[in-house]
Amino acid sequence: MPAKKTSKPTSQDTVQQTRLWLMYPPKLIKKPLIWELGHKFKVVTNIRQASVTDEIGIVCLELDGKREAVKAAIKWLTKTGVSVEPVEISVIAS
Amino acid sequence: MSEKHEGFMKALKCRECGREYPLAATHVCEFDFGPLEVAYDYDRIKKSMTKAAIHSRAQSMWRYRELLPVANDPTVGLQVGFTPLVKADRLAKKLGIRELWIKNDTVNYPTLSFKDRVVSVALSRALELGFETVACASTGNLANSVAANAASAGLKAYVFIPSDLEQGKIVNSLVYGANVITIKGHYDEVNRLCAEIAGKFGWAFVNVNMRPYYSEGSKSMAYEIIEQSGWRIPQHTVVPMASGSLLTKIQKGYQEFVKLGLVAEAEYSIHGAQATGCSPISVAQKAGLDFFKPVKPNTIAKSLAIGTPADGFYALRVMKETGGAADDVTDDEIREGIRLLAECEGIFAETAGGVTVGVAKKLIASGKIPANDSAVLCITGNGLKTLDAVVGHVGKTREIKPSLREFEAMLASEEKVNA
Repeated sequence: MPAKKTSKPTSQDTVQQTRLWLMYPPKLIKKPLIWELGHKFKVVTNIRQASVTDEIGIVCLELDGKREAVKAAIKWLTKTGVSVEPVEISVIAS
Repeated sequence: MSEKHEGFMKALKCRECGREYPLAATHVCEFDFGPLEVAYDYDRIKKSMTKAAIHSRAQSMWRYRELLPVANDPTVGLQVGFTPLVKADRLAKKLGIRELWIKNDTVNYPTLSFKDRVVSVALSRALELGFETVACASTGNLANSVAANAASAGLKAYVFIPSDLEQGKIVNSLVYGANVITIKGHYDEVNRLCAEIAGKFGWAFVNVNMRPYYSEGSKSMAYEIIEQSGWRIPQHTVVPMASGSLLTKIQKGYQEFVKLGLVAEAEYSIHGAQATGCSPISVAQKAGLDFFKPVKPNTIAKSLAIGTPADGFYALRVMKETGGAADDVTDDEIREGIRLLAECEGIFAETAGGVTVGVAKKLIASGKIPANDSAVLCITGNGLKTLDAVVGHVGKTREIKPSLREFEAMLASEEKVNA
């Protein structure tokens, strides 16, 4: 959502680079989800690594965009059934 | 010791592509997102770290300081480590194995879990790099350890925890004066937010930007096992797996001692233990896969409940290389494992310890750990931290009036039942 012209830029307006691991379940492996993502949201997608087997698809993805757009893109991916992890994977340790 | 500014460290190195990076607070390869790991100058270490030198030093994990990633003398957690390696004859008999040892990190200093090893390394390095604030995201042991060790070092600490965490675990961090922030939301959202916070505030986030240093602390458990076993690598080591990091670092520790000539090369196996309610690595190992599938955890072993284990791939590789196996145990089997260890050896472990004992029992019964061999079980945390998991499952008290006659009658009736 665009901010009002008069307001100061907030963290929502800042363009950020987010680095993610996407894990596709078998039923989604053949879907062009990253292409769709680039059309649905104002984000730049950059695939840095990928590996596909019968069991799982793993994509290492950089997403550039405003925070709100990146957040919405991640939400859509998870809703679609893709597991989305930050590049660190598990930040919460035991 | 004649040391350069960075001590015995050479660089940070990508575990995937081998690219090298300066020894800063960074953790991911810019090229392929692979995790960074500390590389050392082993030729120089070989000259400095002899058995005689080790013997002459204080009994803590820092007696192996050349292999721990600090440039100068450590400053945080100087008493951490060198926990007992206990010969567990009674448990060995129960599990049906010739010889069994317990590496007992339930008594690690100061917060009663192996996390004190990794945190003391991370904070010592954080001070060297000029940080004044440290942080972590945790569901238990790590939070406690960061809070305690930061307090002793005079560092400001931020601890992020899921909002549904038990009160006891929160108190164990609050008491040290740490800023404890509870975050509402699903695990995945909390996880992503913590990653964002770690990237934004320029703190030493122990398990994020300090991870290459932090994770090296786990190796000290391997060094201690070798030294306390009389400078031998055990035939079998059973390690609990959450992210899988500890298992990979036990292997790195064993291999480093071989490389330095401190221990003879021998055949050994490293085995992994998980809870059935969160067993992505063990399921993959049993299916012969070299990758795992993420799961949603549902187990009483909260300290092992990581559904997407960051080092799962590397843990699978270590088990394959060393001929190790993995298995998992149900909540009831975990409680039974806790009880067995307590009743046989007088060691009260948290749920992760129950997992390790339970899985060792299975691996021995199936012959994956042969009955005539010797094994070490890594027990990583104290049972006082997970009392909720065993309340109502460990026997009952019996009440009597203040009367000797009543006590004698109770004993007599019990003898009758047991006869």
